[in-house]
Amino acid sequence: MTAFRPVLFALALLLFCGSPLPVLAASPETKEVVVYNWSEYIPQDVLDDFTKETGIKVVYSTFESNEAMYAKVKLLRGRDYDVVVPSTYFVELLREEKLIQPLDLSRISNFSNLDPSLLNQDYDPGNAYSIPYMCGIMGLAYNTKYIKPGTLTSWKDLLNPELKGKIILTDDLRDAFGLALLAQGHSVNSVDPAEIRQASEFLTRLKASVRVFDVTAIKQALISEEVWTGPIWNGDYLVAREENPDLAFLFPKEGGIPWVDSFVLTSGAANVENAYAFINYMLRPEVALRCMEEFKYTSPNLAAVNLLPPDLRQNPILLPGPEERTQAEYIGSIGKALDVYEKYWEQIKTLR
Amino acid sequence: MATNHSSRDSLFRTFSIAGSWLWLGLFALLPTVVLLLVAFLDRGEVGFFIPSLTLDNFRELFGPVFLSVLGDSLRLALLSTLVCLLVAYPFAYALAKANPRRRPWLLLLVIIPFWTNSLIRTYALILMIGAQGMVNKLGLALGLIDVPLEILYTDFAVFAGMTYTFLPFMILPLYASMEKLDPSLADAAKDLGAGALRTFWHITLPLTLPGVVAGCILVFLPSLGCFYIPEILGGATNMLLGTFIKNQFLVAKNWPLGAASSSVLTLFLVLLAVLYRFTSRRVAANMPLRASRNEE
Repeated sequence: MTAFRPVLFALALLLFCGSPLPVLAASPETKEVVVYNWSEYIPQDVLDDFTKETGIKVVYSTFESNEAMYAKVKLLRGRDYDVVVPSTYFVELLREEKLIQPLDLSRISNFSNLDPSLLNQDYDPGNAYSIPYMCGIMGLAYNTKYIKPGTLTSWKDLLNPELKGKIILTDDLRDAFGLALLAQGHSVNSVDPAEIRQASEFLTRLKASVRVFDVTAIKQALISEEVWTGPIWNGDYLVAREENPDLAFLFPKEGGIPWVDSFVLTSGAANVENAYAFINYMLRPEVALRCMEEFKYTSPNLAAVNLLPPDLRQNPILLPGPEERTQAEYIGSIGKALDVYEKYWEQIKTLR
Repeated sequence: MATNHSSRDSLFRTFSIAGSWLWLGLFALLPTVVLLLVAFLDRGEVGFFIPSLTLDNFRELFGPVFLSVLGDSLRLALLSTLVCLLVAYPFAYALAKANPRRRPWLLLLVIIPFWTNSLIRTYALILMIGAQGMVNKLGLALGLIDVPLEILYTDFAVFAGMTYTFLPFMILPLYASMEKLDPSLADAAKDLGAGALRTFWHITLPLTLPGVVAGCILVFLPSLGCFYIPEILGGATNMLLGTFIKNQFLVAKNWPLGAASSSVLTLFLVLLAVLYRFTSRRVAANMPLRASRNEE
């Protein structure tokens, strides 16, 4: 019996502690906004300035992939976080699952700063749920020390045997399949089983040449010349080039893969008022400019783009011309076909 | 006075044991049980799982994908454990035999790396073994190599990273069991004419066996389930068990399969815990009278 005494005690303690906890957690009225964003995306001093100006504390945490973000938001049933920054097709998914709420655009006065050509897209008609924060295009970076300019023009050129063991490939399933589908002349959103199979065969062949899979540290591997080439977001490339001037960049002839990351408001947001204040602050031209200059992604904020120094404004990689932008297709929701992608991806990743 | 003292003692005892029960129950037992339950559920269309019972997830563990992942992980974990043991055993022995005044300092040197996050230490390894890392720069400067060696993003890098990270987990339990070693036993063996090798084989090794088993468990299990070292140093080109489980939860959204595959880790844990109990009991039973009286 004495052996059980500690167990009973533990249970009693649990009951005792369990009851008042929720009350304690909900009590203090603090002015804060809980933001869940990609890593390396908003400079810390921008967040600090927001708090200084409004008195709203920013509770900031980061993710490395849309999938991880989605799993967490879903697990919390849209609560706890206020503002999240998903990519295009995840805006669709979060909306379908009612994890985000419709926005009142009249409360976001700086919305008019945004580039109209990036608004009202298929993934969120009328921007009812999402406000673009940053955008860009995935192209191909390569090191001119090892690869002569002009050798690479197409995604298919990655299969070139001379590049064996010298490639870094994105670990993002949709991006990897996207470039494989483009290489085969298909849509990045293909749901045709035969086309998906073709793309997976392309990736299987490509895997033999891949030295490393990564998402967030792609630029480091290129800077340190661990690898010679690989798909990379244009903003990441511009940051990498500052550290290694031998790096060059191109949009493959089949087109790059464009993306947009947008602010959304979770369905269970506890600080709606503060979240609107935060989004509106981030859309100010001078704030958007600071974010753009720090991380070299393209801001959809036209007012901010106009404030750029002339050399950056004429940079065709930071601000690609209309031909790259119209040719490219956003990655969208593909419904059940995603299971097929995942199955193939798992096979490719476990392949020896 | 005496009864008062002992009742206060027993109250303290009840409290502290209750505390550990609470802790282990809430943060170890409960999650493991819940995870095991999820492994028997079906994959949901919208939710992470749906409440319909199935054995499909365990069936999938016998498919070629999981078996090859498990095989690779086991091989790597066993190799890391073996190398850790071979390095740590003489190290711990020297530590236990060191001058008692110097010993705390030597122990401190083993423990200090613990105070730095292992993720940071893993990233630091990139600076050592990368194409422009110290090893390659030194090799190039000395003319030993013409082109940088490809060390980073290979199986060897993963193995080296794991061995480096988990080595202290082997040293510390070994040191603990060697420190308890009664030197008079070795002296007695020598007096009776046993050579150094024989003394080691018949006295030192059997008595430090619980330390060996504990160290092996503490290195083997984390290296079997570790996901960040293979991802950072291995370039995620060969999927290992930890990454596989993580992907089921985060990428494939197949929680039941993730739960089933992590139950494999739990199974290894249980098996090894039984092994540990078995060896420490055997050692206690075979121990000479004087040593076992010290244990009591």
